[in-house]
Amino acid sequence: MPDWSRTSLELIVQELQRPVRFDESFDRRVMVAVRRSYAERRPRGAAGWIGAAVHMTRRPAYAAALAAGVVAVVTVGMLRSRPETVAGNESIPVQFVLVAPEARSVTVVGDFNNWGLGDTALVAENHNGVWSVSAPVPAGVHRYAFLVNGKQWVADPTAPRAAGDDFGQPSSALVVEGSAE
Amino acid sequence: MALLAGAFSSAEAQDPRIGNRLDAPTRKALSALVDSARASGVPVEPLMEKVYQGLAMGADGPRIVVAVRKLTVEMANAQRVLGTVATTDELKAAASAVHAGVPAVELGKMKKQSGLRRSLTLPFTVLADIVSRGVPVQTAANAIRSLVGAGARDRDISEFQRNVQVDIEKGAQPQAAAETRVKGAVTTPSARPDKREQE
Repeated sequence: MPDWSRTSLELIVQELQRPVRFDESFDRRVMVAVRRSYAERRPRGAAGWIGAAVHMTRRPAYAAALAAGVVAVVTVGMLRSRPETVAGNESIPVQFVLVAPEARSVTVVGDFNNWGLGDTALVAENHNGVWSVSAPVPAGVHRYAFLVNGKQWVADPTAPRAAGDDFGQPSSALVVEGSAE
Repeated sequence: MALLAGAFSSAEAQDPRIGNRLDAPTRKALSALVDSARASGVPVEPLMEKVYQGLAMGADGPRIVVAVRKLTVEMANAQRVLGTVATTDELKAAASAVHAGVPAVELGKMKKQSGLRRSLTLPFTVLADIVSRGVPVQTAANAIRSLVGAGARDRDISEFQRNVQVDIEKGAQPQAAAETRVKGAVTTPSARPDKREQE
């Protein structure tokens, strides 16, 4: 007599293991949905034109997407885990996102790029008001901030604050998990 | 980074990223601070990052010197209680917590409690954050110590920070937010040491 429960289980496993193909618009649709969900859940920032920044590591859906290999390794927020795929590399890709519909330019500067000295600032791209840039960031703890329109400093509204504003401007803290953890 | 640190210890050398943006008195003061830090075993990289930050944010020389001096003291205090086993990142995060108002001795307690292998970079970062958001220092320290003591992973502590931040942004009293959220965090299965070992 066949073991029906085992057979069913195997069928389920087989189905789950079957590769799933996504069309080219999948990433975009996922991002739109997540941004909408995020915007609904997060309160608006103090600055009028700053909405809410996408914080990808905070969404279980992203973990699932990452596990499925759908989305490249892009994370935003305080803790960036070191994925196994980059083991041995001391930097991991980090995506910085700022919602600033009325901004004309957004760059990201911090400890990881010498605060933009020597033209090392990360220039974000504008996606209908959602400014984004990805770059490899070394493992460790970093201070960083967004520079809007080349003159206004903005902390990442989704990240921990970096204690102290020695220079009268806000900044955020970023911890990129290293191999020791 | 090391190149720049060396630049400050040499009167003639100059980092191209800084160029002529610092005047001679500022360079001299920073050189003294960096040399002093290096002599006492305090990592100089974070000090140089502070210089870069100050330059990027348009601070004048004296203000940069004040900030670097303050950071030097905070890192030295952190190193005194954390010991030589502390990494540069831990010291940097600990200095932020001290800067936020957390007594260094509290950080030492956490390090002693967590053991040598557990990095406290993220817990210290979260500690600094929630204190800066208005959570009383002792409440914040107790919360982080509870989480670390319960074997919470960095992602658990990160989640705790996010929850406290959102609660406060929604109008919660900071102390209440921290005290309430830590209860959930320490009882969450993923925060238990036995669960952690299974992963």
